[in-house]
Amino acid sequence: MSDKGTPLYEVKNIYKNYGSVVALENVSLAIYPGEVIGLVGDNGAGKSTLVKVLSGAHQPDSGEILLDGVEHHWRAPHDVLAAGIETLYQDSGLAPNLSVSSNVFLGREITRGGLLGKLGFLAQKQMDKTAHEDLERVGIGVASTDRTVAELSGGQRQAVAIGRAVAWARKVIILDEPTNHLGARQAAEVLEVIGAARAKGLGVIFISHTLPHVLQVTDRIVVLRLGRIVRDSPTSEFNAESLLGTITGLITLPEQAAK
Amino acid sequence: MATTDPVTATETKPDAPKPGTQSSIERPTSRLRKIVTDQQFILVIVLVVLVIVFTAINPVFFGLGAAGNILVQWAPIVLLAVGETFVIITGGIDLSVGSTLTVSSVIAAFAMQGLTTAGWSEGPTLLVGALICLGIGALVGTINSLLVNVAKLVPFVATLATLGAGAGVALVLTGGGPVQGGPPNASTLSAPIGGGLFSWPVIVVIVILIITGLFLHRSRFGRYTYAIGGNAFAATASGISVAKHLTKVYVLSGLFSGAGGFVLYLQLNGGSPSAGTGDELGAIAAVVIGGASLAGGFGKIGGTILGALILETVYSGLTIINIDPNWNQVAVAILIAAAASLQAVRGIQHRRKA
Repeated sequence: MSDKGTPLYEVKNIYKNYGSVVALENVSLAIYPGEVIGLVGDNGAGKSTLVKVLSGAHQPDSGEILLDGVEHHWRAPHDVLAAGIETLYQDSGLAPNLSVSSNVFLGREITRGGLLGKLGFLAQKQMDKTAHEDLERVGIGVASTDRTVAELSGGQRQAVAIGRAVAWARKVIILDEPTNHLGARQAAEVLEVIGAARAKGLGVIFISHTLPHVLQVTDRIVVLRLGRIVRDSPTSEFNAESLLGTITGLITLPEQAAK
Repeated sequence: MATTDPVTATETKPDAPKPGTQSSIERPTSRLRKIVTDQQFILVIVLVVLVIVFTAINPVFFGLGAAGNILVQWAPIVLLAVGETFVIITGGIDLSVGSTLTVSSVIAAFAMQGLTTAGWSEGPTLLVGALICLGIGALVGTINSLLVNVAKLVPFVATLATLGAGAGVALVLTGGGPVQGGPPNASTLSAPIGGGLFSWPVIVVIVILIITGLFLHRSRFGRYTYAIGGNAFAATASGISVAKHLTKVYVLSGLFSGAGGFVLYLQLNGGSPSAGTGDELGAIAAVVIGGASLAGGFGKIGGTILGALILETVYSGLTIINIDPNWNQVAVAILIAAAASLQAVRGIQHRRKA
């Protein structure tokens, strides 16, 4: 892997405990531009904790975080977003009472020109229009971006969340269970969106329980078990059976686990 | 506003119960439709019905004097209620607004008494009094936000503590009696003008309400307020500092309470340790009647303004038609229950749509 140059986004020797519970133990992970990695593991394996560390929502107890080879100490999600790393959180990334465009622009609102803009008054029409264009560009058509998210179906909400992440991401996009709540056709669209993000040179971290999707779309698969990375190998080395076995711990590779 | 409400709301049939007619709900037909919500249309109808009923019983009710009197009572309460609206939209609650009104007006009254005795003229004395009211409001708001953000108390408990502390301080300072002897002509500032309908404090309050409404519904500050109430995690994940924003919201509520304290000082021409007792309940009632949800995420300034107006209309109307004022609380209870039920019905419709 050394021939790929500097990783785009990298964590080294991450530890994270919640009280006496060890959530992450010596986790190291690197992602390169234009690469899609699958992050898989059973419930409680530490996937969500790792996502929160990567997205700045939680701070690790120890370990390094590097973006383009430069070490960063994220204090809040704001820092990570500003660095061009977007995260789609499982189920909870949108405010249901706000409109689609308000959600797409949440935390990054466009303000009016002049004095009103300085006072924080919003250019809502411009945001409605831009949000519509952003979502269409990633292949997600939402009829009216001034509808509230609560009025959308589960699939439409997920589409908005993905569209928002893809529209803003400049370096890395982290997708936590993006195909949840989706029908087969919509899930296929999400996988296409992931392919498009890869083609743009973004790094994509794809977290999913749906193993066929992981095998289909990723270049590399990282398996977490009980807070540790037990396998980090090209997707071509897995099939459905061996992937499931590695996740459940029925198959172990001693030389990998020892690393 | 009242003249445009029925037109827009009728056109869009906001409460059409048929789940099949989604397009009319999902595609707003006009900008006005977005500003003037269904809840506000219903509130205007309720208000009109109340006026008709009270007038039918006692025609005195339908006059500029009676209406002006309602606005005088409404001014301090609506200030508390508007600050409370921001807090409730974030999913919190501020129980301290009434006692902050009291303590700010009492301390400002002492200060103005002292300055008047020292020979200060009326203008500067009142200015200092107003600044003291706002300063105390901001102080209480800051304490509330520290209790919520740093001590991690739930807003109900945090502001229950400051409610008690504020009321206690007001009693200790005054010994339980009124504070008088400020600028002698202060009350002329709140004298009726324009045939009795308005007074200067009422006009200033209306201007403040318009600005605040635009601020809540059109600015980034307002957007974050709704986002935190709708999904605090999503707000954080979107890069919003929730603690910082909540601090601003509680301070804003404190400032509105202080402003309410100054308006009440002008109207009473003095401070009283019981001036704002129970007003937190009136403010919360106005917000709930106005259509906000205590679960957070919903509420409009227009609704709160109408909610407070309905409350004061009921108080005033019951007095004019000679009903024992002790029934006031029962009437308000009925209004709150009706508003909450309406909201529950809407919530069910909303979920069905989704």
